[in-house]
Amino acid sequence: MGHLFLSLIALSCLGAGLALLLEVADSYLGFYGQCHIDINSGEKEFTIQGGGSLLSTLMEQGIFIPSACGGRGSCGYCKVRIHGGGGPLLPTETPWLGPEEIEAQVRISCQVKVRGDMIIEIPPELFLIREFRSRVEGLRNLTHEIKELRLRLIESDAISFKPGQYVQFQVPEYEGCPESVYRAYSIASAAHESGSITLIVTRVPGGLATTYIHEVLKAGDEVAFSGPYGDFYLRDSDREIFLVATGSGLAPIMSILCQMAEERISRKTTLVFGARHRTDLFYLDEIEALKGKMPGLEAIFTLSRPEEEDQWEGERGRVTDVLERIIKEGANKEAYLCGNPAMVESCVELLTKKGIPEELIFYDKFA
Amino acid sequence: MRGRPVKQSPELDRVEQNMRPMCLCAEGFLGDDPRRLIEILTEDQGTVNSLGLSHEVIAQRLRGITEEARGGWGDPVVVEEKFEVQVHEARGKIPCPWGHPGLYPKTHVRLKKMETGDGLVWSDLTIHLIEAHGFYQGRGSPYRLDPSTVKRILEL
Repeated sequence: MGHLFLSLIALSCLGAGLALLLEVADSYLGFYGQCHIDINSGEKEFTIQGGGSLLSTLMEQGIFIPSACGGRGSCGYCKVRIHGGGGPLLPTETPWLGPEEIEAQVRISCQVKVRGDMIIEIPPELFLIREFRSRVEGLRNLTHEIKELRLRLIESDAISFKPGQYVQFQVPEYEGCPESVYRAYSIASAAHESGSITLIVTRVPGGLATTYIHEVLKAGDEVAFSGPYGDFYLRDSDREIFLVATGSGLAPIMSILCQMAEERISRKTTLVFGARHRTDLFYLDEIEALKGKMPGLEAIFTLSRPEEEDQWEGERGRVTDVLERIIKEGANKEAYLCGNPAMVESCVELLTKKGIPEELIFYDKFA
Repeated sequence: MRGRPVKQSPELDRVEQNMRPMCLCAEGFLGDDPRRLIEILTEDQGTVNSLGLSHEVIAQRLRGITEEARGGWGDPVVVEEKFEVQVHEARGKIPCPWGHPGLYPKTHVRLKKMETGDGLVWSDLTIHLIEAHGFYQGRGSPYRLDPSTVKRILEL
């Protein structure tokens, strides 16, 4: 019995010793020293302390790779090409990468650890992305589930973006959200108002970010965001334009309309904005004001389920019903769509059937 | 009566790790359930068997309702004249914690049985987890679907 007891004690001590040894070894072996990062064949180079994820390392250097999950490997957005030093592809990356991307050395940067010198390639426009500090200048309800959030940049900073692009809003830790998270929201304001931006946020049941914005955030609070991101913006041409939105999908469309008004772009333009009830429509006064500045703009509001108290005399039905009626053929036309993914898919199907080439249908479908 | 403890494989240990909060999603998949993943899987498998159902049948029912409601573009839709169903879709996609290839849209499907007011909540990933892994999530998880409750509400 005594032997058994002593053996157990000895085994426990051995286990504890090995665990301690592993901890000590990790603190030494986990030290990767100075690592040199070369981006786009010398366009930008820096030397940093290794050990962090590539995404966070780049962020520390002021290079923001789009990421909707803040580096937890759950969005698959933070893709970069790694030509050297990335190590083997990890199982946590493979769900996000197609065979062609793997062949092209694309990696998920939040999953790749900087363990040595690296040679990477990123789209040059990502160098323009910055982190901004801002203060909440105003919050107002646009509908019962959509809130407008106006952010004023701190220290006279300015943001340069293409109307239609989005930012990554940083939600700090708060009760119910133990870690900071990032969420993407399109900018609704005009690009020339470079000292502030406006976001439109629909409440999502149980959503960490939307709950924060709708229930916790108040005027005067300081918040951070990075941007601008995205390739949804107005293309330069003389084609007739159809802008189609439902819900908070109106945000980037409003920014595009503001740009057109500011730059006096006189292309024939039709805005189709769909909602369920009259109370779900918003920015009607702002759109009316834009019509005053843009003689070529026609705005069509349509309700899919108007109620008697709405006393609605405008269009009834979905945005696709309106498009079906107003577009006879697709020659010399282009379209910009933003909103619910199923709405965008239905519109793309209809518009291509009408003859608008798919490459002239631009969309941002929250997916 | 509890049977003998079931040993969990290292593979399931890894999956269970992926299911913790703030790993693949903020809330995780296990809620406040103290059971190991293998126990959750085993007990729900037993419940599904005793109900005379299969994971495939349950998943197909959820998928059919989701697809019909998706046509509402985010608005509530009445399905089979019995259920009011609303599909919210948020930006981004989420992977399977088992590491299967493919990504699932961040959907939030809310069903209310109009006659009784009973409700269910699920996502596209929920359907995959049931169909491919027989996983109905841990107790307390926002997307936990108890097989008995699903059978009763969806009249399977």
